[in-house]
Amino acid sequence: MQEKQVISLYELNSLVKQALRYHLPDTYWVQAELSDVRSNYSGHCYLEFVQKDVSGNNLIAKARGTIWSNIYKLLKPYFEQETGRAFTSGIKVLVKVSVEFHELYGYSLTVLDIDPSYTVGDMIRKRREILRRLEEEGILDMNKELMLSMNPQRVAVISSATAAGYGDFCNQLQNNPYGLVFYPKLFPAIMQGDRVEETIIMALNNIYEEIDFWDVVVIIRGGGATSDLTGFDSYELAANCAQFPLPVITGIGHERDDTVIDSVAHTRVKTPTAAAEYLIAHLYDIALKLEDYAARMVDKVELRMHREKERISRLSERIPMGTKTCLQAGYYRVDRIHQRLGMAVQNKLMKENHRLELLQQHVKAASPEHLLKRGYSITLLNGKSVSDISQLKQGDIVTTCYARGETKSVIIEIKK
Amino acid sequence: MATKKKTYEEAMRRLEEIVKKVETDGLDIDSLGEHLKEAKELIKFCRDKLYKADAEIKKMLEETE
Repeated sequence: MQEKQVISLYELNSLVKQALRYHLPDTYWVQAELSDVRSNYSGHCYLEFVQKDVSGNNLIAKARGTIWSNIYKLLKPYFEQETGRAFTSGIKVLVKVSVEFHELYGYSLTVLDIDPSYTVGDMIRKRREILRRLEEEGILDMNKELMLSMNPQRVAVISSATAAGYGDFCNQLQNNPYGLVFYPKLFPAIMQGDRVEETIIMALNNIYEEIDFWDVVVIIRGGGATSDLTGFDSYELAANCAQFPLPVITGIGHERDDTVIDSVAHTRVKTPTAAAEYLIAHLYDIALKLEDYAARMVDKVELRMHREKERISRLSERIPMGTKTCLQAGYYRVDRIHQRLGMAVQNKLMKENHRLELLQQHVKAASPEHLLKRGYSITLLNGKSVSDISQLKQGDIVTTCYARGETKSVIIEIKK
Repeated sequence: MATKKKTYEEAMRRLEEIVKKVETDGLDIDSLGEHLKEAKELIKFCRDKLYKADAEIKKMLEETE
């Protein structure tokens, strides 16, 4: 039996260490996701690098990592400055590492440098994906299409109760130079870390419960140190904001890229102070317009009153003349008719007179005296006029009347 | 007759009617007197109306000036 060659664990690990050093002597740029990032009192950072499969659910690779404090104290602010994100778990990074093996602690990667542009690119890609999805669902611009109220004075503020941003915002609103009045109310939410999405959505729901009391929603976060904006690049949060029935104004306090929530908001500004200024400017603008309308209305009313007064005085000047003419016409008409009546009555009487005269003449012409004068005579028998020969017989004594006198005769013969 | 409350226009119309009847021999002598009396009353009524209107208007115009 051949004698076994036995080495200690330490010796084996030393061999592994040598082998690694021999075969992997360089430094490498590695893409990985951060996990379990911790830093201790001494300023060193310990973390895990992981890689997931395409589905994103299963780990397919994992390595411990270390960032020594002398590197970490430069790397962390640089990264956060460049990306606008906290150096924390869940983000993808491109890091320059050397491969280490320690007999006691085993395999690990020592981080020497980081390329923030990779993370930025990854964030942008993720944001684009969310925006594309919102667009496909037709909700991307829904909040932008809302009209900001004429007087957005009742302001529902989503912010952290402890952060300076809310105080800055309220101060700015209250101390506006125009004396405009606002009614802000805080709906607290956690503005960084993992619970941003959850707590902001909860605050939105709380506002929705009493939506009739509010004109506008303002989501603000204090400025200061560049901190973690990851939570604001969330599909759920963006979808909630986009579909919220009140205009949403964001002032999340970052200078660089828009987060997704900025992209869907009605209006985005950079800081809480700017959000307050935006509202003040809007309200002041409306107030100026109202003042202008009021002034114009007064002008118009005065002008109209002036015109009407002139019209009345013009018309009233015409009244005396008009009434005089009218009355004169009335007098003339009555006089005329009076005259006509007199004339007509006179005519009527004259006509009747004439008629009487004619009749009188006729009567006169028909009288016996008149007939006798013209040569006619009247024969009387016993005082009665004889108009028929049969009234007479032979021997009757008749009286014949003439114009001047009469004769008596005896009837000798009668011829019929 | 102008006993009822008549308007100026109504009175004038009745007056015209009477005058036209007289002018066109539409009246007999018996009713002539009666119609003439009515016409005289109507003329007085219309004149009075005119005087009254005249006075009222003058007064009002003085007030508005």
